[in-house]
Order: sequence, then structure tokens, then C-alpha cells
Amino acid sequence: MALIIIRTAVIFLTLLIVMRLMGKRQIGEMQPFELVITLLIAELACIPMADASIPLLYGVVSVLSIYVLHEIVTLIDLKVKGLKSFISGKPSVVVNKDGIDDYQLKKNSLDVSDLIESLRSAGYFSLDSIDYALYEANGTFSALPKQDYEARQNSLPFLIIDNGKFNGKNLSLTGLTRSFFEGILKEQRIASEKKVLVLTADGTGKIYLQAKGERYRTIQAQYPEGITW
Amino acid sequence: MVKCIVSILVAALLLLGAVFGEFFSVEKEVSAFEEQVQLLYDKTQAEQATDSDATAVVRSWESRKRYLHIWIPHNDINRIDEYLAEGAGLIGAGEYAFALAKLEVLLCMLERLPGTYLPTPENVL
Repeated sequence: MALIIIRTAVIFLTLLIVMRLMGKRQIGEMQPFELVITLLIAELACIPMADASIPLLYGVVSVLSIYVLHEIVTLIDLKVKGLKSFISGKPSVVVNKDGIDDYQLKKNSLDVSDLIESLRSAGYFSLDSIDYALYEANGTFSALPKQDYEARQNSLPFLIIDNGKFNGKNLSLTGLTRSFFEGILKEQRIASEKKVLVLTADGTGKIYLQAKGERYRTIQAQYPEGITW
Repeated sequence: MVKCIVSILVAALLLLGAVFGEFFSVEKEVSAFEEQVQLLYDKTQAEQATDSDATAVVRSWESRKRYLHIWIPHNDINRIDEYLAEGAGLIGAGEYAFALAKLEVLLCMLERLPGTYLPTPENVL
């Protein structure tokens, strides 16, 4: 039985570390250790139940070990501040007043399109309509909008350049050409699209542009005649 | 908080009980049975083992294994069942040389069995 307890603890710790390393993308509304327990409990209960060659006591001991580990981790989470961030992680501020924090996104295995998707789910369609956005330790998304955020999002922005690459599908949906945006980059003294972290364009001509390692800027562009959405 | 600590302690005590329960009962039952098989092996080697000797060892195993099923995988017990049944059958038929081979495997299995469940690094990994 000591062997089963040790093996359960080893698997528990391994899964917890892996879940923490995977970042917030994999979690979604649970603390990492809660997700690990959810993953383990089902299997631990199922295997001795279905496999008649394993004594039922093995399942009971494993589940009881998980319970003890859960209670210990919960206690540490509540009482030891230093270990709380190690066990549960901490919120990641992915958008601040300077724009998108690429480092924080990468750290959590996310990219700009994931961020834009989270923003849309939270009701914010334009990147410049928020001051701050963060992924909580449990993977949920929170954003602090600008005071006039509703006035800033009157047309759906399309992601045109995502981390140095043109998004061909969105480009064709806007009806604009690649050279149009290359012209804008030239005007903004950005050598090529490879230097761009994000560029979105909405139907009113508002362009949100952030070069890698720089603060974001918004530009009011004039689209060729008849183009809007 | 108190409830949480008490529940941890109770669960940890139950686990500790299972650890000691397994350790002592497997060790005790298996080593006692190993002694009986060793005795049967010695008698077989001297070609003095009888059908009733073999049956007595089988009966002893039947009563011990009921308890062991709680602690160790049933497949391990089934393997002992098979070798013991073969050994006893061969003794009954007077095939001492073949029975010795079966009993030797059985002794080896019984010797290794308690160690299989100890929390040693090779078992954990």
C-alpha cells in the first residue's frame, strides 16, 4: 500500500507541474491542482472497478491518498503565500496601457488570436477599447475597459497581421490588399510585417498597430473608395 | 480549519493502517506458507512426499489466499495456485523430479512476492 501511496503522489506532483507549465490555456475555470485531481480521480476509481485482477483496496487507497494530497495542497494554498503562486499560479496581465504584452502571452502558451477571441467573449471587440486585460490563475479572462469603450467599437476589427504574418483569409474578407497595409507600415516606419506583433483594421478605417517590443498606436486610414464593413 | 486537519489526520491514519496491514499480513502469510512449501520440497527431494502432504499444503494455501486477496493482485495469487496444483498433482503421480521443478519455481515466487509491494525505488519507478 505504501507503494500505491508513493506512486499516486508521484503522478499527482508530475501532473501538477505539467499543468502549471502548460499555462492558462489548458486550465479553464479550475485551479491547476483541482484539474489534476479531476483528471486522476476518475481513472483511479475506474481501474480497480473494471479490472477484476486488482484488489478494490488499491482504488480506495489511491483515492484516499488523493484526498489527503488535496487537503494538504488546499491548506498550503491558503496559508503559505510563497507557495500559493507556485501551486496555483498567478494572474498574467496580457494587455496594459502600452498594448499587448507578448512575453506574458507566450508564457501562457497563447497568441494574439487567442487574446482577441477572449476579448470578444468578454464583449470587447477592439483592442484599443481596453486598458488592461488579464488571465486569472484559474484561466478565466478579465478586462478593464476604457471609459468610452463603447464608442471605440462601432465596427468589427479584423486581424490582418498576427505575429509577423499576414492573415490571408481576413485580408480577403476586408477587400483590401496586402500592399495597402505595407504602405501603412512604411508610413509608420516599420520595415516589414515581420516586425509587427499585431495589426487589426475595422470598417471605419481605424487601424490598431503594435510593433514588436513597442507601444501600440492607432491610425485613422483612408480606405480605397467603397470599402467598408 | 480544525475539521480539515482532523480529516487529513484520519485519512492519513487509515492509509498508514493499510500500509502496515499489507506489510505485516503479506509478509506473515507468505513466509509461513513458504516454510510449508520448503518442507514439501525437502520431502519431495528425498522422494518421501505423499499425496496427503501435498493436499495439506494446498489446503493451507486455500485458507491463506482468502486473506491475501485483499492485499495483492489476484493474478499473482492465481500463478501460485497454478504452480502449486501442478506440483501437488505430480507428487500424487510419483513424478518427483517434475514436481521439484514446479516447487522450485513456487519457492522463488514466494520469496520474491513480499518485496514486489515494498516502496523501493525500483518498484516506485
